[in-house]
Amino acid sequence: MAAEAHPPAAAVTERPVKLKLTGVSKTYWNGSQVVEALQPVNTEIREGEFVVFFGPSGCGKSTLLNIIAGFEDVTKGEITLDGKPVEGPHHDRLMLFQEHGLFPWLNVIENVMFGLRRKYRFKWKARREKARQFLQMVHLEEFEKAAIHELSGGMKQRVALARALAPDPKVLLVDEPFPALDALTRAKLYWDIQEIFQRTKKTIVLVTHDPREAACLGDRVLVFSGRPGRVKADITIELPRPRDINDPVVAECANGIMAQLEAPGE
Amino acid sequence: MKVSQRSIKYYVFGFYLLILVTWQMLFSAQIIPDYMFPSPLQVGQRLWELTRDNYLWPSVKATFQRMGIGFSIAASAGLLIGLFMGMSRVVNGCLRSLFLGLQTLPTAAWVPVSLLIFGLSEHGIYFVIIMSSAPAVAIATSDGIQHIPPIYLRAARTLGTPGYAMPTRVMLPASLPSIVTGIKLGWTLAWHGGVSAELIKSTIGLGFLLQMGRELNDAAQVIGIMVLTILFGLLLDRFFFGLIQKRILIRWGLAQKS
Repeated sequence: MAAEAHPPAAAVTERPVKLKLTGVSKTYWNGSQVVEALQPVNTEIREGEFVVFFGPSGCGKSTLLNIIAGFEDVTKGEITLDGKPVEGPHHDRLMLFQEHGLFPWLNVIENVMFGLRRKYRFKWKARREKARQFLQMVHLEEFEKAAIHELSGGMKQRVALARALAPDPKVLLVDEPFPALDALTRAKLYWDIQEIFQRTKKTIVLVTHDPREAACLGDRVLVFSGRPGRVKADITIELPRPRDINDPVVAECANGIMAQLEAPGE
Repeated sequence: MKVSQRSIKYYVFGFYLLILVTWQMLFSAQIIPDYMFPSPLQVGQRLWELTRDNYLWPSVKATFQRMGIGFSIAASAGLLIGLFMGMSRVVNGCLRSLFLGLQTLPTAAWVPVSLLIFGLSEHGIYFVIIMSSAPAVAIATSDGIQHIPPIYLRAARTLGTPGYAMPTRVMLPASLPSIVTGIKLGWTLAWHGGVSAELIKSTIGLGFLLQMGRELNDAAQVIGIMVLTILFGLLLDRFFFGLIQKRILIRWGLAQKS
């Protein structure tokens, strides 16, 4: 695959702000005391930016993603999308889950068509056409009639990706989508996701605990540290795309991210 | 010993043949007087006579008509009530104990109540069928809905499914494996209840033929109709509901094609 020139980071900062997080924090009562799951987070995610939330488990990165998706409430603070405060789950902030969440009662193409109902009401043919385009994008057009359980793990994640992209969400939220896959399948998916990112210019927020994954995919990496969860560093990665997960430069960059995580706090 | 799928069929066939042969031998040994204990041949002959005299077919048709209508109502009602139970913990808390209690009641126990309410009318049979089977369908449906993996609901919400469409697009399809199990059980209970009600309340139907056999002291007819009732119940369970269930399980990846 030829390395296409990716707009440098400077161009990103000139784009309009998509998601704005102002003092977003989360505390909960565990029965005996108040637990601080997430200390206030302030950040702006711009249109077409690929932001990675990186950190160890229990650092609040998944909590923050769920808050953005609307599955969890904020304790304090505010999130706006295109300037408007967000409330509850909505298809403009679509989530791609760790365990794909494909519906077993529908076949592959019907799964992709599921999220297109709103846009193409009573237009079954238009829905199917659109779904086919997205299946082509993830190279699964031959499997449109297959049942979900007939697919491999990597293929299921691809269908889930197609299903999430088809309704054209403003922001795609991705929750550790690749841990259960083998190395080869993962490497292929990294290529695909970057290709799709460059083609669709989607705003993507991805959660991971793998520094290589963060270095390979992110324009920007927010490094989270645990107990209490907080953002420790905000790193901009200016490597050309598409990046190869096995490239030494990416590995070096991943080391830099790890160093930020292990650095003593301020 | 490893037995192949194919040869199991021969074993099953042999088993039923053995039952028939033993039955005939017991009859030939003349231990029990034959007006109480007919031979398989006599039973077959009686069934043939009933068919020839045009008693059997209208009765089978009548029973199936009642079952078809009654069970359709029961299954729809059970599905709807189960859906509400699955979605509301309050409704579930109230109705679950009631329905579980009703299920411990033998289906034939609905017959006297239906006689009191409906007299000897046809409605009473429907009443017994519905009361016997609807609770089982409702409980299975609510179980299915309560055990839907949360990720399906989350995925549906994030894909923009409006709340009013969740039951039909996600909840019911997601709980289909459980619902179809409930429908199978419900069918068996409906069959019990329906035939029990026919014993007392009707002038046509399998239950009626059974009762007529008793009144005529015709053991061959009683046993013949019993065998037919078992056969029809089994056929529907295995080859109608069973095949639907199998298709669903294969679709879900829970069972293998064979």
